[in-house]
Amino acid sequence: MLKRLLPILSFALLTLSACQSGSNSPVKIGFLGPLTGDAAPYGVDMLNGVKMAVEELNAAGGINGRMIELVAEDGRCTGADSASAAQKLVNVDRVIAIIGGGCSGETLAAAPVAEAAGVVMISPLSSSPDVTMAGDFIFRNYPSDALKTKAMSALLREEGFTKLAMISENTDFAQAFRESLKQDFGAEMIVFDEVVDPGTKDFRTLITRLKDVEFDIFFPNGQSDAAISAMMQQLREQELTQQAISHDVADSLTLGQMSPEAVEGMYIVNVPTAGQGGEFESMFNQKFGGAQATIAFAAHAYDATRVLAQAIGTAGTDGTAIRDYLYSMPAFDGIVGSFTFDRSGDVVGVPYGLKTFKAGAIEKVRDLPVIPM
Amino acid sequence: MQLVINALIAGSLAALIAGGLSLVYGTLGVFNLALGQMVLIGGYVTWWLHQVVNLPLVVSIAGGLGVGAMISWATFELFVEPFWKRHRFLPLVTTIALSMMLDGMILLLFEERPRAILPGLKGSFPFFGARVNDTQITLIVVTLLLLSGFAFILHSTPFGRKLRAVVQHPHAAESLGINAPKINRLIFILSGMLAACGGIYQGIDQNLTPTLAFPITIKAYAAIIAGGKGHFWGAILCAYLIALLEQLAIGVPWFGGTYIGAGYQQTVALAVIIVFLLLKPNGLFGSSIRSA
Repeated sequence: MLKRLLPILSFALLTLSACQSGSNSPVKIGFLGPLTGDAAPYGVDMLNGVKMAVEELNAAGGINGRMIELVAEDGRCTGADSASAAQKLVNVDRVIAIIGGGCSGETLAAAPVAEAAGVVMISPLSSSPDVTMAGDFIFRNYPSDALKTKAMSALLREEGFTKLAMISENTDFAQAFRESLKQDFGAEMIVFDEVVDPGTKDFRTLITRLKDVEFDIFFPNGQSDAAISAMMQQLREQELTQQAISHDVADSLTLGQMSPEAVEGMYIVNVPTAGQGGEFESMFNQKFGGAQATIAFAAHAYDATRVLAQAIGTAGTDGTAIRDYLYSMPAFDGIVGSFTFDRSGDVVGVPYGLKTFKAGAIEKVRDLPVIPM
Repeated sequence: MQLVINALIAGSLAALIAGGLSLVYGTLGVFNLALGQMVLIGGYVTWWLHQVVNLPLVVSIAGGLGVGAMISWATFELFVEPFWKRHRFLPLVTTIALSMMLDGMILLLFEERPRAILPGLKGSFPFFGARVNDTQITLIVVTLLLLSGFAFILHSTPFGRKLRAVVQHPHAAESLGINAPKINRLIFILSGMLAACGGIYQGIDQNLTPTLAFPITIKAYAAIIAGGKGHFWGAILCAYLIALLEQLAIGVPWFGGTYIGAGYQQTVALAVIIVFLLLKPNGLFGSSIRSA
């Protein structure tokens, strides 16, 4: 029975797939990001940014008349989940390109899969320096931490801080940031350096030890705002009043709501809050009821989707052609700025900003210069 | 001193959950792997009632406990009761399935962002050379009260005697006219309520995230295994002990002034437990007969 059915079935499948590659079939784009778990607030912002771009592009007629179809997969901010999600996107859904991952660990794990299949991947959020060398087909429109730790170190020196205490979560992103900061700021300036398991919420004993350490600035190097919130609360509970500084992850409105007093005055070094206050934000809020982490993450995802659509529109649906277009394209005017990609697929043209928490809200202090490598 | 306080804070949370779990294991002999999710639901419901519906904290906590009890009752009727007598490992599978469903439900209902029942900083004060805040003291004291109240019921009331009888020999107990199925159900619900307490504790002291469930379950199981299977006090003591070990592992300098990396915190505590178990396979407090 099965034997007789098999040829018919495979014929049916063949005709189906033949139909799909017709000129009016949708262009399939994959999404990979942390949709569940501690990192989900920024994964959801990312996905909403992509959705918004796709809806707008489709409303305007799609890419050369072909609609865009979005296939979203959850990478859960872990390498294993992202690798299998990427496998599914590439081999089952046969997407033309992928927007993602969010966490650096996701991008790094998915990169070999995309690379082997010749599928372009643009990460709107991964900042680990390792992503630079992740592969030929791997791009990002979010600047590398190699640049960010340089900007952060310059800021720390400028403000006269010399003794940094840091607690890092054991994830690709946080560890790469830690190593990179050590190099730029100087290992001798770091007086306390501990690494905890991902998802840890109890930092009390480390904070107890911090009381005996002479430090002038604290750096909660967490992968999620939940961890940073717990670190800052437990630090302030022990009446340690030193200045605090953190990175992209702390650029989260949720953090300000959960522990407004503890994070008051904390420095955040991140990309500028791109899209804030503009038409983009008001439309985004109308559609999705506001950002969970920060509008900037949605803006980067939105821009990544648009630049990808432009590439497919110009170069077609072949992975290699899309890749070559991205390397040589003229500056793209997006929400996050006017940017291009360098020869390793890293973004050029996105600046940094210094922000701080004031009464639970995030305020911009000033721009930070980007110090080239 | 601060280390001991830290251990008490962390241990109280683990003890609440492990205590209930060990009762269930002692009476039914089943593993409930959806326990971590019940912890979270108790916490999340309390958060929702307090932060979204704006009910007073006490009412919210009661609500969280109520929902926790209802969920564990439903779990017992649907996922445990029909299976456990056929084979005591069947609920292992059904509760894993349940834990996945509850995970999904938590994500849908409460979203993925972290939630704190009492956001903001709680003022802390010095206490015998350590710094604590009043919520922490309250939480530690309430946990101790709850557990000792439980001990009183278990050892000094007719109900407790029946309960212990069911634990020791269900068939003999039934032949003496004790309604064992009813006791089993009650114990399961009680353990669910203790778990919900744990979630509320976590949500007040730190914050709740949907991924928390599994690590909580693992820690509770470590405590009951180390404490001796089905040994109520053993499980509770071990929960505190594991917490203390975790704090000591990274809080004091070992071997000539070097600290153990914080990433090894749980590894060290569990490694110590394994060594104990190698020496005493029935658990630290276990004996060859089952007891409660």
